[in-house]
Amino acid sequence: MKRKLHLFCVLCIALIAFRFVDDARFDVPENFPKPVYDFSKNPLSASKIQLGRVLFYDPLLSRNNMISCASCHSQFSAFTHVDHALSHGIEDRIGFRNSPALMNLAWQKLFMRDGAVNHLDVQSLAPITNPTEMDENMNQVVMKLQASKLYTKLFYKAFGDSIITGEHTLKAISQFMLTLVSANSKYDSVMRKQSLFTEQESKGYSLFKKNCSSCHTEPLFTNDDFRNNGLPIDTTLNDFGRYRVTKNPSDSLKFKVPTLRNIEFSYPYMHDGRFKKISQVLNHYTDGIEKSTTIASELKQPIVLTSNEKVDLIAFLLTLTDKSFLFNPDYFYPKEIFSGTGEGLKN
Amino acid sequence: MINRKVVILFILLSIYGFTFSQPGAIRISVVPSYGDQVFSLKDASFKAIDSFNLSITELKFYISKIQFLKNGEVILEEKNSFHLVDASQSNSLQIIIENKELASFDQLKFYLGIDSTTNVSGVLGGDLDPTNGMYWAWQSGYINFKFEGITNLCKTRNNEFQFHLGGYEKPNDCLQALSFAITNTSVINLKVDVKKFLQQIDVEKTNHIMSPSPEAVMLSKIVANAFTIPQN
Repeated sequence: MKRKLHLFCVLCIALIAFRFVDDARFDVPENFPKPVYDFSKNPLSASKIQLGRVLFYDPLLSRNNMISCASCHSQFSAFTHVDHALSHGIEDRIGFRNSPALMNLAWQKLFMRDGAVNHLDVQSLAPITNPTEMDENMNQVVMKLQASKLYTKLFYKAFGDSIITGEHTLKAISQFMLTLVSANSKYDSVMRKQSLFTEQESKGYSLFKKNCSSCHTEPLFTNDDFRNNGLPIDTTLNDFGRYRVTKNPSDSLKFKVPTLRNIEFSYPYMHDGRFKKISQVLNHYTDGIEKSTTIASELKQPIVLTSNEKVDLIAFLLTLTDKSFLFNPDYFYPKEIFSGTGEGLKN
Repeated sequence: MINRKVVILFILLSIYGFTFSQPGAIRISVVPSYGDQVFSLKDASFKAIDSFNLSITELKFYISKIQFLKNGEVILEEKNSFHLVDASQSNSLQIIIENKELASFDQLKFYLGIDSTTNVSGVLGGDLDPTNGMYWAWQSGYINFKFEGITNLCKTRNNEFQFHLGGYEKPNDCLQALSFAITNTSVINLKVDVKKFLQQIDVEKTNHIMSPSPEAVMLSKIVANAFTIPQN
C-alpha cells in the first residue's frame, strides 16, 4: 500500500513537472537525414513556436500593416503564393521571383532562389525589408511589437523578457518555420512499408529514380544545391540566379533545386513561376532544355520520356502530397490569439 | 546641507573616475576625428572646417576580437568580443576590457569588422542584433564599416556619399586585422581619422558602395589605415 502511494506521488510530481516544461521536441522523421539547423543555438519551446506562428500571420510586420508572411506563403499551397507566377507584396507591387514553398527548412543550408541568405534565422529579414514585399525595417517592427500588450506578453512567455529585440523576433519566426515538416505523404508511408504504390506509381517511381533523383534527391527531394536547368532566360527579368550573389560566371543561371514534396499544390513552378502544370515542367525537361555553358551536368544527356511515361511519372509525383501537412491545425492562422485581445492585427 | 551634497557628489565623481582608471581594466577610447578636429555625431552631423563643405552624418563600425600581446604572445583576450562603435552614441566609444591579472603588454590587435564564422551563425543579439542597422537583409552578412556624409565634391543626389563596407566570403572578404605597438597603459586612445580615408580615395568617382565587391575590399584596406594610436 505504502509503495503504491509512493509511486502515485512520484507520478503526480512527474505529471506536474511535465505540465510546466515548455521544451518542444524536434522529431526527425525516420527516413530523413540529420537536420542542418543547429537547434542548440535556438532550442525549440512551445511558447516560442506559438509566438513565431503569431508573427508569421501578423501583417504588423509590413510597413502599412497589410501584408503578412502568410500573404505569400499560404498553408494550403505548401506555403507558397498559389497561382502567382511572381508574388505581389505591399500595395500590389510585383516581386522579382516566385515565392518558394516552405517545408523541411531545418534541412536547408542556404535560402532564397539564389542562396543569398545564409541562415534560416536571418531569412525573414529579406522579405520584411524588400520594397516589393513588406517594405518595413526591423527597428520599426520591433517598435511596433514593443507597443503591443499582446506581444510584450507573448515575448515574456517565450523568452522571459518583455523587452523585444530583433534577435528574439527572428528566432521565434524561425522556430515556427522549423516545425513545418512534411514527411507523411503516400511516398513516406510506402518507404516505411505501411502502404504500397499502385502499379502506375511504381512505374513512375522507377522513371523518377532514373531521370530526376540525381538533383531531386530522396527523401527531401532536393539536393539543396544550385543548378542551371536549361530554362531560356526571360528577358523581362534577366534573372541570372546565383550569379547575382557570387558574381562568379560559373554560377550564371543557377537556381536552388526546389523540393518536389507537395508539388501538386505548389504551382506555378520554376523561379519565375513560368509553368502552371506539372506536365509543362516535364515537357521542358524532355524538349525545352537550352544548353548554355553552365547547364547542369545531369542535363547534358537528353531526358527521353514517352507520353505514357510522363503520365506514370506524374502519378508518382502526386504521391508526394502530404495532406497532414497541408491541413495541419498547428500551422493554422492563430485565430484564438488574435481574437483574444483584438490586438496584433490593428495599428 | 550643501556641504554634504558636495561631499556626496565628490565621492560619486571619484568612484566614477576610479572605475575609468582602475588598474583591473583597460579602456580603449575611440576618438572619431577629421584631421585634428575631433567630432561627435551625438546631437547633429559634423561640419568640417574645410573647403569641400564636408558634413559627416554617420560613422559606425565594428571592433571585434580584441587581444593584448606581450612579445608576440597573446596574454589577454576579451571573450565574446564584439563592439559596435557609433559616433552618435558616446558610450559606445568607450570599450572597457577586464584585466584582473594586471597583465602587461606591448601590442594591441583587433578586427575591424565581423569574422566569417559569426557571419554565418544566424541571428545574434546585443551589438550584433540586426536592428542596429549594420546587417544586410537582401544578402546575409554584417556591414563592417558604415560612413555617410555630404560633400560638394560628390555630384550625386544631395551631394551624398555612402560607404557600407562589408562582405565575409572570398574573394570579397572585407575583414581587416589591425595591430598596434603600444605602451603598457590602462587608457588607450584609438583615433579614427576619416580625413585620411577621404584623402586616399577619389570621392568624386567612388561615393556609393553598398555591397560586397572588390571595391569594398580595397576601401576596407584604406579605412584600416585611418586607425592610429597616437603615443603621448
